[in-house]
Amino acid sequence: MIGLATLALLAGAAAAAPSPARVASLNLCSDELALLLAASGQLVSVSRLGADPEETPLAGRARGLPVNRGRVTDVVALAPDLVLTSSGDPSAAATARRLGIAVVEVPQPTNLGDVRANIRLVAAALGRPARGEAVVAAMDAALGPVPAGAVPALLVSGGGLTIAADSLAAIWLRHAGLRQQRVARGPLGLEGLLTAPPAVLVTSRYRAGQMSINQGWLAHPALKALPAGVVRLETDGRAWTCLGPSLAPEIARLRNALQRRGRPAP
Amino acid sequence: MILRLALLVALLALASLFWDPAMLQAVAARDPALARTILIELRLPRTALAVLIGGSLGLGGAAMQGLLRNALASPDVLGPTTGASLGAVFAGYFLGGGVLAVAAGGIAGALAALALLLALAGPAASTATLVLAGVAISALGGAAVNLALSLAPSPYALYDVLFWLLGSLADRTLPQLLVAAPIIIGAGGVLLAQRHALDSLALGEEVAHSLGIAVSRLRWTVVVASGVMVGAGVAVAGSIGFVGLIVPHLVRPLVGNRPGAALLPSALAGAALLLAADLAVRVPVNGVELKLGVLTALIGAPFFLWLVLKAR
Repeated sequence: MIGLATLALLAGAAAAAPSPARVASLNLCSDELALLLAASGQLVSVSRLGADPEETPLAGRARGLPVNRGRVTDVVALAPDLVLTSSGDPSAAATARRLGIAVVEVPQPTNLGDVRANIRLVAAALGRPARGEAVVAAMDAALGPVPAGAVPALLVSGGGLTIAADSLAAIWLRHAGLRQQRVARGPLGLEGLLTAPPAVLVTSRYRAGQMSINQGWLAHPALKALPAGVVRLETDGRAWTCLGPSLAPEIARLRNALQRRGRPAP
Repeated sequence: MILRLALLVALLALASLFWDPAMLQAVAARDPALARTILIELRLPRTALAVLIGGSLGLGGAAMQGLLRNALASPDVLGPTTGASLGAVFAGYFLGGGVLAVAAGGIAGALAALALLLALAGPAASTATLVLAGVAISALGGAAVNLALSLAPSPYALYDVLFWLLGSLADRTLPQLLVAAPIIIGAGGVLLAQRHALDSLALGEEVAHSLGIAVSRLRWTVVVASGVMVGAGVAVAGSIGFVGLIVPHLVRPLVGNRPGAALLPSALAGAALLLAADLAVRVPVNGVELKLGVLTALIGAPFFLWLVLKAR
């Protein structure tokens, strides 16, 4: 409700005020929305992560834009008339307001309705509501309806980190025809994964070139011993950080990959 | 005593290898190949690394305490452990190295920290100078690990700080064991061979000299062998604190306070202690497995305080 009210307020404000001409985004997750929604030339800066091809599939759209390190002071010299940031960084928003710059804080989504609301929120702030509706429509088209008869699955990234069965990531996964299993708190151990394997194991590929403890875990030789019946899928780990609209095409890809491999019995 | 300690290590190693036997049996009945994989690819590296690294920490602590004639000397207090973490992190994250390069980085880091320590504290350092220099190097090394991982390209690299500063033996690989084992065993053998020389050194440098001990060569041998051993261990299991500090103190009264005679029992007691700690972390607390270094610090820090009180 509050989200809707803010949205209505912002839509009203956008209708009254001219569209911002110089928009700076300070956070990977607001970068995603800004890069999808802004008119050409409207965006003057994104965060360094938002322009890093290892972090986001949209990095190509940020080519040539000045990058910031997530602080208002980094972008003040670009004279932005709107700053986008995540609700996780209230101090940046406060700083921008003190400097008299308009701010939109993008809330953390907890369901797909929130994801759509965030798209519309940023679209309205950019003065591009029609573009917002187009992005929402494209996201819903890629997602499609929830397939019937979901297969039990585990989404695992490096170090055995996984997601909660009732999280937004699990809701996205559901649209690929996969139902995240309930797991104990904390990271998974390889032994548990091998002795009680899911029907589908989805591993996340993220910065495969960087040797880290977590990457090493995914390459552990013992994982080759997973029973032959376990379907293994790989997903682009970059899209799972913000769980925003750029995850939709990846979900569609997973759904198709699962169908091609032959769905195991639910 | 050595026989009894060895028996204890063997018992704990079996417990570590066959932990949760009901689960193993159930898996073996269903899928013998999977049970073999679990034993060889997961349990064996974990158990063998606990024995080797625990042994190397105990042995390294005893050798450094003997050499420096200082009850507070140990790899984690004097800096080689965090030095090794830094070297391993640098080799892995910034040079993109594999298992071998990370081990080499760990060894180089440990040796650099020891060289810095000896350069700062001088050859005949007092306890206070040595421990002060060691604590400063440890703090610097820990901060540099933190800094290096903060600056690593991936924002998630910072999570790895937990591993490098607290250590873990969970989900290590057979190749890591195969790289670390020969290095630790070789350097450990070199250290054990110095036991008579260390006993003589306990009588004072002049006496040792008159007994035909080349004191400066002994010092270099112990420092380099400890550094190589600790570096190889840290590169595969992160830095595990306090084992090297506690174990020699537990052992020394049993061997008549002779530093050389304490070497082998310290290695065995270190292996037993780390095996026991690694068994304890597998019992989940509130649903989460603890980090190995948290547990050894929880045991070790009160012991350190007790040492302080005793020395007062």
